[in-house]
Amino acid sequence: MSTAAKMIQGTPVLGKMFKVNGNDDLASINAWPSLIIMTSFVWLAIALLLGVSMPIIQYFGLNIFLFEFYTALTLHGAAMTFPFAFSLMVGVSLHRAGACMGKKADGPLVVLYYIFMNIGGLLFTLSVLAGFKITYTVMFPLPVVGAQMGVWPMWSVVLGFTGIALILVSMIILYPIQILQMIFWGKKHDELELSPRTLNDPGMLGMLIAVLVLLVSGLPLIVTASSVLLYLYGIFPAAWIGWAVTPVVFQFVFYIFAHNLMESMAIMIVSAVYGTLPLYLADGTRKLYSDKLANAALWILLITSVTSFFHHFYTMFPALPSTFSFHGNVMSWGTGIGGAFTIFTILATIWKHGLRPEPGVMMILAGFVIYCLDGVTAMIIGNVAMSYHLHGTLWVGGHAMTVLLAMSLMWMGVLYHHYPVLTNRNPDADKCRQSYRMYFIGGVGMMYTFMAGGAMGIPRRISNWVESGYMGIGVFILIFGLILSYGISMFFVTLSKSREITT
Amino acid sequence: MRDFIYEDGWGAFVVLLFFHIPFLIFFCRIVYKKAFVNTGPSGTAPEKYPKIEIMWISTVAVLFILVNVLSVVYMPPVSTAALTKSGTPFQEVDITAKSWYYDMSSREVEVGVPVKFSAKSGDTVHGFSVYHPDGRIVFTMMLMPGMESPTTLVHTFEEPGEYKVRCLEYCGIVHHAMQDLLVVR
Repeated sequence: MSTAAKMIQGTPVLGKMFKVNGNDDLASINAWPSLIIMTSFVWLAIALLLGVSMPIIQYFGLNIFLFEFYTALTLHGAAMTFPFAFSLMVGVSLHRAGACMGKKADGPLVVLYYIFMNIGGLLFTLSVLAGFKITYTVMFPLPVVGAQMGVWPMWSVVLGFTGIALILVSMIILYPIQILQMIFWGKKHDELELSPRTLNDPGMLGMLIAVLVLLVSGLPLIVTASSVLLYLYGIFPAAWIGWAVTPVVFQFVFYIFAHNLMESMAIMIVSAVYGTLPLYLADGTRKLYSDKLANAALWILLITSVTSFFHHFYTMFPALPSTFSFHGNVMSWGTGIGGAFTIFTILATIWKHGLRPEPGVMMILAGFVIYCLDGVTAMIIGNVAMSYHLHGTLWVGGHAMTVLLAMSLMWMGVLYHHYPVLTNRNPDADKCRQSYRMYFIGGVGMMYTFMAGGAMGIPRRISNWVESGYMGIGVFILIFGLILSYGISMFFVTLSKSREITT
Repeated sequence: MRDFIYEDGWGAFVVLLFFHIPFLIFFCRIVYKKAFVNTGPSGTAPEKYPKIEIMWISTVAVLFILVNVLSVVYMPPVSTAALTKSGTPFQEVDITAKSWYYDMSSREVEVGVPVKFSAKSGDTVHGFSVYHPDGRIVFTMMLMPGMESPTTLVHTFEEPGEYKVRCLEYCGIVHHAMQDLLVVR
């Protein structure tokens, strides 16, 4: 039995849901992906509790340990984005890639990914508990300025940056190289190839595009952040890293990556939808309406999304020249054209062949609807004129949250689809239906509440909602947050009530 | 109407609903019909699909272009550049943002006269956002430290009143209290 299978077996509660048969032929595409997914759900539980606690902290004006707004905010954002949403994607996509390519998903890169991501997450958590409250977007040079002002200790900056560096290496180097290795190299094992696919399939092409985006857009950040970290360790002298600590350099490379991280995750999940939807067509066709159109959508999403990151800086004119703003504007709305191609492909496929409404595929479609709704919120702040009235408000925070919720719901649907192969058990269909319905209501409700908050001009990341008269929005966030939490809890029930498949 | 759409957060919300509502109706109706009412293959002739595809993409593209083209005159970089070139006299307000306060060369401006705001940050990333007395955001600026030239924007206030100034970029544990006041007379 592999180390991963043993770790799963030794984990209380969740271990039962993700237990794999460590001795069967498929252990090499099941065990590590399953462990990565299981651990991502531990982070989700933490993120969920912190998320729900935020309006409560605001209402009661709490300021104790975890129950302090900026502590909860920083940890919630970081846990939700990296060790949960990204790792959920990694776990499911590693299993998918293994089963489509007939390649093992348990090599040293996978093991290192797991260690780096989770140790990184733990170190960052410890640094935040030590006072390092920078939000998950770093806001450089805030980490250094905060230490200089005595707001948090310098050692917490070193600890936090170490955690961030481990997380970045796992996302930008280890995971993409593992996927590239599985696509292009590595020994093929016929017994692992459950659903053969090639790069001509939209379901695999998107995976390749997504990891290349991570690798290319992330490398400048790896170089910059490593330089800063080596200085913090006392290995590099200050003279060597002057360029890296220039705020505009650090924040630009950070946003180029952070923006493309989301785009890459979106391309990855759209490709997973293309791969999964045909398996649920009512007439048994198992084909998309048009592979060409689906691939075109992926290429359009790639071309437009990569340089649309300028929309993060519109309000810095003239430091960001108008021409880049206009380019960002056009590209941001160009992603909508890629989205329109995707919507058409999915609807034409369903219209042409009918759909078996099984919980997994319905969960994916519910997530896709939220993803499209969120896409419009992104395009609106991608318009230069409207951005000047919305940038930095709850609208932006709501967009970041909603895209993560949408992608996570779609991955949970894909996980539901792969679950029988992963664990040799069938999940509970009725509970899953309850789960995605409540998740959908909670997610969409949260999205509109945040957008309304943005339209009202509520700044994101402020800890005085009550004094500022914004608590009404806080109450709605709490209500929809609880509905969403119930939906996610039901997904755990779905898995915990799964039944062994007997042949 | 255009002023409302491009100069008010609620205008943006209306645009959001303008796209959301038809999409939700369209998407959910098709999925419901083909998943729960009649799951059989559709009777639509194959040659019709490319036509519908072109119609759908064209409609989307036209709407996208329309929303953005109509917004050009409301883009602050465009109006700022036009006003700066026109030689129209304007008032100047220089701002330096620091954790957690603003140094402003003036806190009073005249109604109806263009004001050129030039803002810099002295330590970390800050925002300089002006709120109308009714609560909506008039404009927001992002200030990054270390930039050679300040972030600039020209705005003409149409109504007198007390305009709140807030930081919208998270800048540490007293971020929420980074506020000031601008009086328009």
